[in-house]
Amino acid sequence: MDMKRDYYEDIELFKSGTILFWSIVLLVALFVAPVFLSNYHLYLFNLIMVHVIVAVGLNILVGSTGQIALGHAGFFAIGAYGTVLLMTKLAIPFFPALIITAFIASFFGFILGLPALRLEGPYLAIATLAFGLAIMHVIGHMELFGGRQGLMAPTLDIGIPQLGLSWELWTEKSKYYLILIIAILMVLFAVNILKTRVGRAFVAIRDSDIAAEVIGVNLTIYKTLAFAVSAFYAGVAGGLFAFVLGFFDPFTFNLIISIIFLVMVVVGGLGSVMGSITGAALITYLWYDVFKNVDEVPVVGDILLAFSRKFLTASGIDNFNFVALGLVMIGIIIFEPLGIFGAWIRVKKYWKTWPF
Amino acid sequence: MDVKKLLTVLLIPLIALFFLVDQGYAKRNPGFDDKEIRVGQWGPQTGPAAPWGAVARGSKLLFDLVNEEGGIHGRQVRYFIRDDQYNPSQTMAGVRELVDRYGVFAFVGGVGTACGLAVQNYLRQNEIIWIGVCSGARAFENNPWLWQMWPAYFDEGAILTKHAVENMGFTKIAYLYQNDDWGADAMEGVKAVLKANNLELLAAVPVEPIERDLSSQIARIQATGAEAVVGIMAPTQAAIALRTAVSVGFRPQWLHSYNLCDFALMSHITDGLWASEGVMTAAFTPPIDSDTPLMNKYREAAARLAPEERWGIFYLAGVCVGEPLVWALEDVGRDLSKQAVVDALNSITERQGVGPIITWTKESHHPPRQLQVWQCGPNGETIVVQDWIENDLERP
Repeated sequence: MDMKRDYYEDIELFKSGTILFWSIVLLVALFVAPVFLSNYHLYLFNLIMVHVIVAVGLNILVGSTGQIALGHAGFFAIGAYGTVLLMTKLAIPFFPALIITAFIASFFGFILGLPALRLEGPYLAIATLAFGLAIMHVIGHMELFGGRQGLMAPTLDIGIPQLGLSWELWTEKSKYYLILIIAILMVLFAVNILKTRVGRAFVAIRDSDIAAEVIGVNLTIYKTLAFAVSAFYAGVAGGLFAFVLGFFDPFTFNLIISIIFLVMVVVGGLGSVMGSITGAALITYLWYDVFKNVDEVPVVGDILLAFSRKFLTASGIDNFNFVALGLVMIGIIIFEPLGIFGAWIRVKKYWKTWPF
Repeated sequence: MDVKKLLTVLLIPLIALFFLVDQGYAKRNPGFDDKEIRVGQWGPQTGPAAPWGAVARGSKLLFDLVNEEGGIHGRQVRYFIRDDQYNPSQTMAGVRELVDRYGVFAFVGGVGTACGLAVQNYLRQNEIIWIGVCSGARAFENNPWLWQMWPAYFDEGAILTKHAVENMGFTKIAYLYQNDDWGADAMEGVKAVLKANNLELLAAVPVEPIERDLSSQIARIQATGAEAVVGIMAPTQAAIALRTAVSVGFRPQWLHSYNLCDFALMSHITDGLWASEGVMTAAFTPPIDSDTPLMNKYREAAARLAPEERWGIFYLAGVCVGEPLVWALEDVGRDLSKQAVVDALNSITERQGVGPIITWTKESHHPPRQLQVWQCGPNGETIVVQDWIENDLERP
């Protein structure tokens, strides 16, 4: 069935014609989607794609390298602030600004990777947590970053306005295409990196860092590299997020966001790129949309509302948002530890062996 | 039944839920029809700022009451609350969703400066009526589609200082403030009044919003020998500052922001110190326990329609931000249009419900400049020590 016979089969981007076909269908669907979608849905899609980029990057760190990280909101913030400030203060065009910022973020990722060499599990979680919180407060404290009042993103100009080559993106639709293309590139990069020597080193570290070191994987380089790559993704995503939202303040990048990022990865499936994508899409959709509209659903909404008022607080149905998100997580951990990706594998196996 | 079967069975209603939620997208509509007018508000119902979520629910009380009395010229108000958890990206999502999915005629209230700033441009570009953002920040000025109700922080600082200097005769004033735009805006008001009275500010001491140990700040202020301290900060810090000051025997007259005029809450979190020290705050609504027909009506309605709610100042603020919209809709009559409501809002003159006294014109949607000063009585009750007074000083 899935037996691989040589190395080249292992590094193929699309494992089979079926996967290639459906990938193309998905891409075509994504490219024509804006024709049918309302502005609100485009905004939601933009957020989803931004979260996909973060989740894919985080999964390289958490899923593939086995390092816990609770501070990704910090890199996300660096991405947003860096891009906007480079564009407004230094008049750097969008793409260079985004890339420079992503490298700044990955530099911070490298720095954070250094303590990770000696810390594991809960200790590493605390160190990364501290980083995420510190970034939020450092930014809030400095006038350069707009203080606590926050920053307004400039017009998204993806040309080089200094040379008169202006190309301004105003609509949600144009931003959608920009983010879509960047997201596809980032995802392809992630798929590929996991198939190289670097990716295999990451996986080796996850499975046993002592064994990895014994077979010649340099832990210092690869652990910090995993942090840097992951932070690079969060940086790019942050830069895009700044323009999706148009305005942000330091507390936009709070602890909850870091945790939600981690939830996306865990729900999607640790160590799987497809899992991160579905996880990010599902959690964003649930969190931003479905759970907010539950009270509009006939019967179910009324029952939940009554339940919430009776047993939870006066604020009504909104408690349901967090409770349900928590239940989704608990459910996944108990019944499907590999996340959505695990469920997918099971379904696939079932059909491959059908009717036996 | 084994677990997997159970999960599969559970999955079906979940998918059905998705489809039910996601239907019924109307194309851009005016936000009202013959039967209803759609109104929205965002506010933190969960998360760190959840206590302020009462504002959005207070507006619900007003609209429920209006609907119970038969609606406005035959139309019911359909009111949506979106929980944004005090996170601007959630605010933006909620607002866009309401506008795109349901077609919202107007937004009222909206807690949080950052959350409001995130959606300000969007609402403005889409020309959606927005009444009474719950922030006195300067960044909301001069928006033609926003009618403001919460007094500017500049005016607040000025009125508090004016009361301390002119009514109470204090000459030694210090200022303890949250180190952000809120504190900076109010500081200008404090300084303007002192300058007009030929006085100097003894000390202006900043507090970080995350600080939990204010002993050094209190020591600095105590060293100046201040008789009165004007404070602009969040409830937690105000409580800590008061405790710290009392514990070192420093007992000036405290004058705090209108955001802290919920005396029941503040007395509770200071173990009664708020009451025993007689702390004063600015206020832009009549006291919640005042005995006026309108206030009694709302209080009774709250007890009947929302018995689980505490009748507090934030809840009342929700009623306040809804009132002007109801007035305007009533004035316009059955023949509803956006322009008619805009005109009606622009012609509100010297009108007061249970909120501030409001005057708006076509040129100015500024918030009222009148405030009251309250003092917390020995049993946590509200004593009005300065009736409505207008700040006539201009920003430098």
